[in-house]
Amino acid sequence: MTPDPIDELGARLFESARSEAIPSGAEQRALEAARAEIGRQPVATRRISAGHKWLAAAACVALAAGAALLLRPKDTKLGISAEPSLLAHARPAPRTSPSTAPQPTSSSTSNQAPPIAPSLAVTVKPTPSLQAMPLPPVSASLSDEVSALKVASSALGAGDPTAALAALDRYDRVLKGQKLRAEATLLKIEALSRAGQVPAASALAQRFVDQNPGSPLVDRARSFVVKQ
Amino acid sequence: MAASRDEVIAIPSKAPLRDDSRVASSGLTIDALVAQHYGFIWRILRGLGLSSADAEDATQQVFMIAARKLDTIDPDRARSFVYGAALRVANNARRGLRRRREVVDDELPEEPEPEARGPEKMAELEQARRVLAQVLNRLEEKHRRVIVLAEIEQLEVPEIAALEGVPTGTAASRLRVAREKFRAALHALRDQNPFGDEP
Repeated sequence: MTPDPIDELGARLFESARSEAIPSGAEQRALEAARAEIGRQPVATRRISAGHKWLAAAACVALAAGAALLLRPKDTKLGISAEPSLLAHARPAPRTSPSTAPQPTSSSTSNQAPPIAPSLAVTVKPTPSLQAMPLPPVSASLSDEVSALKVASSALGAGDPTAALAALDRYDRVLKGQKLRAEATLLKIEALSRAGQVPAASALAQRFVDQNPGSPLVDRARSFVVKQ
Repeated sequence: MAASRDEVIAIPSKAPLRDDSRVASSGLTIDALVAQHYGFIWRILRGLGLSSADAEDATQQVFMIAARKLDTIDPDRARSFVYGAALRVANNARRGLRRRREVVDDELPEEPEPEARGPEKMAELEQARRVLAQVLNRLEEKHRRVIVLAEIEQLEVPEIAALEGVPTGTAASRLRVAREKFRAALHALRDQNPFGDEP
């Protein structure tokens, strides 16, 4: 049985399509365009699911901690260890008995491993006494702080460290951001580094490392420290 | 802005602080996506009627779209994603071509490819590609797509079904009909003797 000439012809036509060469350099051009597209993405859409996960997680923890501080019972003389359950969920430090005065500490060692997110760690201001501790000043909301840091992070991702530094400056001066200070510091370190201000970035990173030896962010900060 | 000693909210991140946004949270990279699917998409677009140059532009658009959506692409369905994007880009490109009153299948190649073949062989291949485009242009879009996937990309029916988002049986019957229509269109063209000395 001889093959149908039409089928043979069709096979030749398809073979010609399969053998067609892609224009030289086309794939590389597409790759470069795609890479550039990533850098051009708008703030609202740019890798928010990955790049800002830590910001969102930090926001949740900071919100929980802030709410716990605001909701704490005013008649208690206890420090952090006797805070209400909301903070206890976010930061399950070992509870001490009421007769045990909490030791003021700046270390984060007693505040590790919250159950809501195993990778989260919170260190809050040491509180010799909740009554003695003033209420936090009314300042920018957490969402304001998150927004400012998102702007900075996105600017960094877009290769614009100057804009990132401007956003961080706003975080510092206008918002007087406190809740996400560590994250802001890390962003500033990177922005300085990318802006070519390596010594300043290194100095800030070293200060962060020195002041926050127990911080989970310390390794990241340390990577910006330039050895003399 | 130094981190204060007395208040630190520290969150370790799975994502590195240094921007590496070419890597999606799924681990998919735009580099890998382009490396794995560039040829597939370019040939699909050629099969859908774009000239070589337009196919290059359209393929580039496809991967720019993929770059924007990188975080949302399931690595196991990356080919489906770029295929779907390619169909949409092809539609837009063809609308643009129609507006410019350009007839793709009548275009001459922009420039001869530097293939390591003799000029006669190259001319024959070019002619074959042009005839193929003419035949494919006579098919309905859905038949054109499946026959390109089956005969040029040489995909199996289940793979075609997955890309087209239809049941396997539907893809199989669509492919059968597409092949019949392709043969009929080729017959019709041959009867018009478009190949000169071709049989």
